[in-house]
Amino acid sequence: MSSMIKKRQSLLPGDTGKFAGILSGFILLLAVLPILTMIVMSFSGASNLDFPPSSYSLQWYEAAWNTFVSPDSSDVLSLGKAMSTSLMVACLTMIFATIIAVPAAYALTRCEFRGKAVALQLMSLPLVFPMVVLGLALLLVFDSLPFQMTTSRLVIAHVILALPFVVKNCTAAMLSIGSEVEEAAQMLGASPLRAIVDVVVPLMKSGILAGMLLAFIVSFNEFTVTYFLYTIDVMTVPIWMYSRTVSSLDPTVFSFAVLIVLIDFVLIWALEKLVGEGGVSF
Amino acid sequence: MWRGGLPPLGREAALNPIIAVHQVYRMRWFTTASQSNGGKPPRHKARSHRSHGGFEGCVCQLLSIDETLAMEHQPLTHPLSAAPARADRGVSPTARAWFFLSPSMLFLGVLIAASLLVLRMSVGTKGAEWSGFSLASYAQLLEPYYLKSLLLTLRLALISAVIAVLLAIPVAYTMSRLTSPFVRRIFLAAVLLPLLVNLLLQSYGWLVILGPGGMLNQALMGLGLIKRPIMLLYNQNGVLMGLVQTAFPLAVLPIASAMRGVARTYEEAAATLGASRLQVFRQVVLPMSLPGIITGATLVFAYNASSFVVPLLLGGRRVPMLAVMVHDQIAPLMNWPAASAAGVVLIVTTLAIMTLSEYITGRRRRMLEASQ
Repeated sequence: MSSMIKKRQSLLPGDTGKFAGILSGFILLLAVLPILTMIVMSFSGASNLDFPPSSYSLQWYEAAWNTFVSPDSSDVLSLGKAMSTSLMVACLTMIFATIIAVPAAYALTRCEFRGKAVALQLMSLPLVFPMVVLGLALLLVFDSLPFQMTTSRLVIAHVILALPFVVKNCTAAMLSIGSEVEEAAQMLGASPLRAIVDVVVPLMKSGILAGMLLAFIVSFNEFTVTYFLYTIDVMTVPIWMYSRTVSSLDPTVFSFAVLIVLIDFVLIWALEKLVGEGGVSF
Repeated sequence: MWRGGLPPLGREAALNPIIAVHQVYRMRWFTTASQSNGGKPPRHKARSHRSHGGFEGCVCQLLSIDETLAMEHQPLTHPLSAAPARADRGVSPTARAWFFLSPSMLFLGVLIAASLLVLRMSVGTKGAEWSGFSLASYAQLLEPYYLKSLLLTLRLALISAVIAVLLAIPVAYTMSRLTSPFVRRIFLAAVLLPLLVNLLLQSYGWLVILGPGGMLNQALMGLGLIKRPIMLLYNQNGVLMGLVQTAFPLAVLPIASAMRGVARTYEEAAATLGASRLQVFRQVVLPMSLPGIITGATLVFAYNASSFVVPLLLGGRRVPMLAVMVHDQIAPLMNWPAASAAGVVLIVTTLAIMTLSEYITGRRRRMLEASQ
């Protein structure tokens, strides 16, 4: 230990040593290993699941493309339809979650009111609520309603799941603004509502955007609750993939999976950029 | 500047024994002092750090409930500043706030109404779900098969929480001390990917890793540890590995947040007083970030106790965790009361663990504050 410190003068208390760095890098590698494995497998030239693959080719991507452009009649639902459902649900979730989260964030940051502790606890409830029970409970509710809901019930479920993420991002963005700007706007003659819409909301734009991105990611990747709520005509991409692989694992799925991981990665990277350097401070 | 003037750490060890003993003694005094006195400064520090912590800080905040409450006690804005403008309109601030909250409360109301329905359903009887009343579904949960499933769920959740926290501590410490923004983003992306990417896809990856001809078996055979492929899928070991990996980010984020709150000056002070790097870590950093560690462990436990996809794909029917059982009661069996009763058990377990953890971390914080 002492020799290491003599060699590297920069290793001061509070710096992490090389050992800790390598160890945590290794652990993180293990954490993303399943995703990496899947990416490698999607380039496999063999038709079994042995790792590493005996040869490499793009055959599964080709097969995936064929499934996309000319769906088998054996499939219950085409991928294109599942994809459009997924995107629609994710976009609607994103929009609704943001619309309801911004006023909630305003109330939670700017107002002192009775029941605030309860409201805060309620806001983080969907995070700790068991997902299976949420699926079961929503299924009970929607089945007991007199009318049929298909896509909308997925959206409602996803909005509940995404709400804590969006509210937290908006709250954090709003906390960083301070109420002076709003007061200034009101002093200059803006109505309270106009002060919020024209002054506060534009200032917290990057926080809202981050929340929207998170809502999209959460909705796009959601499986458990959707698994309880999907119907045979309305399924999202994860459900479509599961129904395809429920009997045997087909490597075509890996190439879809790589596509989804790629989308996720781009979104996460954008999110980090937006929140990390976009002027939002937490 | 003055940091450069610190005596190199190793040198103290070479001092004569009496001084060394004295230093160890002083250091002990310091660490206990820092534990009891350290309440407010680190929290303050945590706040200012978070202000640069970006998204990571946000997620940490998001994941630990106690911190949301801490935020409530220290509003950054002056609550009275905008009040006069509103007072003449005759709308009380409480009503106004709840009006703003009402759209989101509508959705959360659906969640609460739905959970009450589950509670009602769980005491119904099969066939007369809404009108009957019996505790048969709960009694059924005490039958050996279901009891075993419940115990299995709790055991796997507990083991996975312990492993995940042990793995998360070095990662969180490294993350909390990273300075390069690019490396920070890479680390954060690697932590967030398992959290946000579809669990189904990650389970497919595990199928490839754990399969008979999979990566792990190949590696073990290559190392000469095993002769024939061992069975890793469809048993508890495979499920446990999947549970640890998928819940790992939930352990890292709160711990990293807590460790960023431990100011470097404490480490420097401990090092000046002669503590080795390991001692600094064990006696200063770890105790001071204990609330984060407890929060992380709780989150992993709660998340894994209700885990569904991982046991479904990696365990098949051989590892019947409670969440899988809930679904089985509905899909093939159509036994709604039984599914609801199992669901109620899940909710109660999760909420009990969360409350306990909040009680422990809250008491610790109060202790720290009271000792000042």
